[in-house]
Amino acid sequence: MVWHIFKKDWKLLWVFVITVASLHWISAFIIFKLGLFGESTMLEMLAEAVPILSFFASMFLIAAIVHVEAIPGVRQDWLVRPIRRGNLLLEKFLFVVLMVEGPIFAANLFQGLANGFSLRSTLLSATSYMIFLLFFLILPLFAFASVTQNMTEAFIFGCACAFIIGAFLTLGEYMNGSAHGTLIAVTHSGVGWIGEVFRFALVAIAAGTILGLQYFRRKTATARFLVIAFGLLLLTSQFLPWKSAFAIEERLSPKPAAGATTVIRFDPARGKFKSPSGLAPSSENDQRNRRGENALVFLPLQVTGVRNDAILLTDRVEVHVTGQDGRVVYHGIGDSLEVAREGRNPAEEPVYQQIAVPMSVYHRAKDQALQVRVDYSLTLFGLAESYSMPAVDGDERMPEWGWCQTKMNEAGTAVELHCIEPGKGPICGTAFLENASTGARNPARSTCQSDYSPYGYNPLPDSFVRFGTNLQFRDASGLAKFPVDGVQLPQSRVVIRVYEPEDHFTRSLVIPQIKLGDWEAQ
Amino acid sequence: MIRAENLWKKFGRFEALRGLSFDVPEGSAFALIGANGAGKTTTIKVLMNIVEPTRGSATLLNVDSRKISQRELARIGYVSENQDMPARLTVEEYVVFLRPFYPTWDRELEASIALQLRLPLERKIGDLSHGMRMKMALMCALPYRPKLLILDEPFSGLDPLVRDEFMEGLLEQAGEMTILISSHELGEIDGVATHVAFLDEGKLLFQESMSDLTGRFREVRVTLEAQAAPPKPAPKEWMQIRTIGNVLTFVDTRFDENGLGERVRSRIAGVRGIDSQPMALRSIFTTLARAARDGGA
Repeated sequence: MVWHIFKKDWKLLWVFVITVASLHWISAFIIFKLGLFGESTMLEMLAEAVPILSFFASMFLIAAIVHVEAIPGVRQDWLVRPIRRGNLLLEKFLFVVLMVEGPIFAANLFQGLANGFSLRSTLLSATSYMIFLLFFLILPLFAFASVTQNMTEAFIFGCACAFIIGAFLTLGEYMNGSAHGTLIAVTHSGVGWIGEVFRFALVAIAAGTILGLQYFRRKTATARFLVIAFGLLLLTSQFLPWKSAFAIEERLSPKPAAGATTVIRFDPARGKFKSPSGLAPSSENDQRNRRGENALVFLPLQVTGVRNDAILLTDRVEVHVTGQDGRVVYHGIGDSLEVAREGRNPAEEPVYQQIAVPMSVYHRAKDQALQVRVDYSLTLFGLAESYSMPAVDGDERMPEWGWCQTKMNEAGTAVELHCIEPGKGPICGTAFLENASTGARNPARSTCQSDYSPYGYNPLPDSFVRFGTNLQFRDASGLAKFPVDGVQLPQSRVVIRVYEPEDHFTRSLVIPQIKLGDWEAQ
Repeated sequence: MIRAENLWKKFGRFEALRGLSFDVPEGSAFALIGANGAGKTTTIKVLMNIVEPTRGSATLLNVDSRKISQRELARIGYVSENQDMPARLTVEEYVVFLRPFYPTWDRELEASIALQLRLPLERKIGDLSHGMRMKMALMCALPYRPKLLILDEPFSGLDPLVRDEFMEGLLEQAGEMTILISSHELGEIDGVATHVAFLDEGKLLFQESMSDLTGRFREVRVTLEAQAAPPKPAPKEWMQIRTIGNVLTFVDTRFDENGLGERVRSRIAGVRGIDSQPMALRSIFTTLARAARDGGA
């Protein structure tokens, strides 16, 4: 009977299904036509708008599929027909998966194959994307639609939910700001995926409970209450404690103990931080600092034990400043650090830990002897692969990096490197220009980011990740000189070094006595 | 066939059903009558497990209404004035969709009902008039020969011609099925119902067979020798007592041909003549509805 109901729903909704599917296919075609460099402004604009439109259309389609046999209400004909509720639920689920996810899957397959990726990698990334969408979009909306009777009700209830979510997030942000960023730790971090998996599990439980309650018992009032309760629970998951989440990530380290030799020490001998540009550091920082709300303190550090061809990245820096009597003077988040040891004999760069201390705290405590403890959550990346491609008009496919192209920018000052990869893509790499004949190389540009998710979780626009960087070879102002300049470009190559996470670990730096005023930037 | 015991249904603070109990005998055509808002539709929705009772219970085909399964639903026909069917399907498409759910669906019967009701099979349900939609609902409820047919205000908004077509279609197939029909007008179920229950504000005022009901209601006209005046106190079973000159009229709800004269004379002096007339169902309904409204039923 599932197939029988399926055919009836198709008769009712095929125009809607085809319309939404066409939007997804048009979106995929636009993105494909845009290419890696996106030179058409019109296409670029469409590539922004059409995926969002198709995403919203899919949301409406899910609601429409469920509303064909709405659960709330007393007038629906299906309520008095001998239709097994289990069959109906299964049919709705299959219809949603096939008619909403199916076209998206096809669009992603088209993109992957049209961009020259293998069927295997395209299938893998598209399937992973479908699973992600199932938890991110399909199940929540399916459950949500089941507690509403029609599109108007769904829209009103949706607006109310959006308002509650907005209010909750705003309140959360405010509380997080008041706690100097210590409250919301996991979300938008390298271990954010752990929170995401937790939320997906919660979505699965919520959807199962709500759909079961609706389709088998038609308890709409209870189900609506559960939608709100689970929604709030989902929102509170952004307050997941960092230590527990990072402990899970530590256990998942591909090469545990690879970072065992890493030591972070306070190194006052390096002296105060001086901005390389000569400008006051506060003017280089964010708007809040520019408004004078924070004083920027830079602690000189010595980081040892990072081997060559490795990059050390901080995932979270938590700063505790306490008085000699043990009272907390400041507790907040420090700036992230990246320590790269590239090549055989890398030059040792000075490392400073930047801490933005609220001005009110700073003025009160800057001349006091304080204890500073900095808790580092770190990840050590090791070199996994190295590729090179022509600096200009290069076109290469690199197994762990993706398909990349290079071209000179319009100003003639940098080489643009743009890449695309199915699935999540690389999370850490450096790229630099190297003269293949002389061996001269320009400073490397790092694209490392703290993100250890085993899957990609960007709902838009598709199952591909697009990334890139600009490799400068000429300073338009003429102040800086590059070893590899524009003249050498024909003999030069773009070298890409791919790094993979090896070890996740923590370190704690304790400075027993320090005066913050001594380390404010000059 | 149907038994309701102390059914209560509350919507917020509003009590739609207040301790409703009744029995629908097998093979009967049971009319549930009452004014708009009396609780007829709520009763039917409770019986069909579309809404849950707040208290009490009901059984249909010997199954608790809250546990009605596909097995029971395959033996129940349901026609309601406010039944939402898929507007974008044609009549034929919907009938084709429904067939496999009913093991006893008779396609020949379906064809003959469609012919009899003159239904446009190729037309979309959303394009049908109200009357046509009601006939279509009836056509979707009969071809599997249900044991129980539930009709919720089936005649509401139907013109006389369509109503007659509907009734003919219904009666022709009625056979041995039990019919529960709700209506706010007794006149509409005249000739169909064998039993009747009267609902008012969620309460059952009475339940009895149609022959008993018509037998006990009479419009009585008493001619007096002098100016008529209503007896004080008036017997409870006398309703709508009116006087015009020396004539007193009332509706006797406990009519007994042999004892009428004695009962009248024992309360009213100077009786010259007594005449009693049987009442149309519509008049009985109006009398009951007025009495219920005035708190005298």
